[in-house]
Amino acid sequence: MNIIQNICSELLSDKPYSASRNFIISGVFWLLIGTSLGLLAAALMTWPDIIVNVPQMSFGRVRPAHINVVAIGWLSMGYLGAYFYILPVLVGRKGVWNERLANLTCLVFNLLVFTGVLSILNGYTEAREYAELNGIFDYIVLVGLFLSGLIGFKTVLTGPEKKWYVSIWYILGSLFWFPIVYVIGNRAFVAFEGLNDAIAGWFYGHNILGMWFTVGGIGILYYLLPRFTGNPLYSHTLSMIGFWTIGMFYAPTGTHHILQSPVPEWLKAIAVISSVFLLVPVLTVLTNFFMTMKGKWSLAAEHIPLRFVIVASIGYLLTCMQGPFQATRAINWYIHFTNWVVGHAHMALLATFTFIVFAAIYYIIPKVTGRKIYSKKMAVWHFWLSLYGVAIMMIILTCAGLVQAAGWHFAIPVDQWSVEMYPYMFIRFLSGVMIVLGQLIFIFNIYKTVFSKEAEPAPNSPTGIAFV
Amino acid sequence: MKSNVNYLVAAVFVALIFFTIIYVTAILPATTFTPNKSDVAWEYSSSEKRGRDVYRREGCFYCHTQFVRYQDREMGEMVKAGDYVFETPHLLGTERTGPDLSNIGGKYPDAWHWAHHTNPRAVKPGSIMPSFSYLSNQDMTDLVAYLQTIGQKRVQPRWIVAPQEFRDKFHGVAEKTDVNASSFANAGRGIYMQNCAQCHGVTGKGNGSVSMTMQKKPANFTRPFYAGYDDATWYWRISEGVPGTRMPRWAKTLSDEDMAYLVAFLKTLPKPPSAKAGDISVTDYAALDQPEEMNQNFWEIEAQKHGSGESDPFTAYSEETKGAHE
Repeated sequence: MNIIQNICSELLSDKPYSASRNFIISGVFWLLIGTSLGLLAAALMTWPDIIVNVPQMSFGRVRPAHINVVAIGWLSMGYLGAYFYILPVLVGRKGVWNERLANLTCLVFNLLVFTGVLSILNGYTEAREYAELNGIFDYIVLVGLFLSGLIGFKTVLTGPEKKWYVSIWYILGSLFWFPIVYVIGNRAFVAFEGLNDAIAGWFYGHNILGMWFTVGGIGILYYLLPRFTGNPLYSHTLSMIGFWTIGMFYAPTGTHHILQSPVPEWLKAIAVISSVFLLVPVLTVLTNFFMTMKGKWSLAAEHIPLRFVIVASIGYLLTCMQGPFQATRAINWYIHFTNWVVGHAHMALLATFTFIVFAAIYYIIPKVTGRKIYSKKMAVWHFWLSLYGVAIMMIILTCAGLVQAAGWHFAIPVDQWSVEMYPYMFIRFLSGVMIVLGQLIFIFNIYKTVFSKEAEPAPNSPTGIAFV
Repeated sequence: MKSNVNYLVAAVFVALIFFTIIYVTAILPATTFTPNKSDVAWEYSSSEKRGRDVYRREGCFYCHTQFVRYQDREMGEMVKAGDYVFETPHLLGTERTGPDLSNIGGKYPDAWHWAHHTNPRAVKPGSIMPSFSYLSNQDMTDLVAYLQTIGQKRVQPRWIVAPQEFRDKFHGVAEKTDVNASSFANAGRGIYMQNCAQCHGVTGKGNGSVSMTMQKKPANFTRPFYAGYDDATWYWRISEGVPGTRMPRWAKTLSDEDMAYLVAFLKTLPKPPSAKAGDISVTDYAALDQPEEMNQNFWEIEAQKHGSGESDPFTAYSEETKGAHE
């Protein structure tokens, strides 16, 4: 009885920052599940016969499960965990507006991801990329997003500090935009016929990245960067230009995913042009990053979370140079439909936004639990394994994509060159092993930090350099 | 306080622009972009609909696309907006790990699909498709029924036939020469080797030595498509050439008798169609719409079906030629 009470009070506590902590811990758990599912999918692409006759482990079901667990379970929950720490700190209050409600939101999300992934593995799917959660789960996602939005806005609006730091803009922006994007992108709410369904679907498919992961991730980045380096943010004006241009230019880009399909030409033209214009917000972010880092690069030798931020920023640079480039018709006709795009997606979600959340977690966990990270060595291993894993995966998928594109465009029958993909798929599998190993170390490190009986208290360190 | 108000005005203004952008690019197309259904669009029966759900459930669209783009070679005809009228929710796909399926209907027999889904590597050794042996018989039947509909109408052979005057002319020729006799076919082989093999190849595959210099490749007579040519059409094509290609008017060089020998030989080249797709027969040429007037070609019939006006080039051409023939 006591245990149940303990668990209940833990799960629905109103201690300040407990929601942030719970979100981060569940997110890390789902990260392990999500990357393992990805590894399974990679294995199935390498050796298609290792698992047969198990419908739940068929590639067509594992892949959407992987995407949804990492997108909703890991990244979204990691983001919310970071938000619920950053927002109160920035407006100068202790804890979010209603910590108990925030913890309830965390429960809703966990329940959602748990039942949602089981439903996808058992074939209950909407069959739309990034939006596979079907029917009832769409409503639960919306409830979760509404609650998070409510808590986020209430926290900021009722806080004592009225001058908003730029991170607040970005975070509240993402909490405002994502529910809108989600409603338009899911057939539970907006159901179109024929090709219009594809247009709405790719509006969602691209804007879950643009309006949620990018905006939120940059919000967290803008918070962490001045904290870690001790430098003030280089330019607030630039960051605000970035914020509004993301809002303007991300929304119409979805159609570049169906650039050669028979949808209206004007829609494609708008998509391509605004994809190229995305360079504007990207360059504002990167200018801010490099100018704020000025003179502090040597910190990265000791400051583990800063390393993650640096990798994330460089990942962002590469992803967002690639993005406009491959959205143009001149490039898209060749590399579309190949593994190149898969590599690009991993670059964005793994090398960039996941690394930002890693940095946030290494900084926030000591802040909210008051404990130093259990092992620095493990954090370093986590860093290098994840970095090498994603770098190898990116490079090998890009090469595989070019081979594939050549196969398609020289009209070679696919069963004659799909065996040629084996070495690439095998190396991709190895990079997946590295990533999963890194996450195993990470989850063990976080588990030890949060739950071990005797722990070193977190030292007083404004830049967070002593936390890890 | 004053500056806050200024911010508010700006924020409302920007939010308005933002919602306009979303509306225009995500919602508005649903009202303005409503293509009419093309003749390829397929209204699914209940079994095919269930098969489509199996296709979605098993995530087939993660590896198989369903649109042929202008740069895709040897994947069949390009898709049109009207083909997708009944495709809700869409299955366009996003990555091609396996082949495009826009024209899969009728390409293989049902039994092939069953074998392929049960053990893909049994029929395609290099394939990395997962085995779907866990599908129930019902699921598999529905899935195959669905697959056989995709692009089905697009892959049906379409050809033009000889105008009536050539039919009459050929009728006269055929009285003297039996184009079904193997001895005449043998004679035709010699004429073919002398006159046709440079372009069409010695085996009739359209890969003769000169073919590599040609923008428009010579016809491959071994295609099942040519099994649909009737004798008079062969005769007409040889006699009058093929407009828009390098195929010359052989009537200027060869005698009627020689051309009849050629017809006898060419008739032996087309392979029979390999697919027999269940109840959707792709080999039943007799069931296809035959043109009512023999000097019409396929495009003219299409133009009339869709009620195009005088401005349509095919209709205009038809009117012109009709006058000429009369």
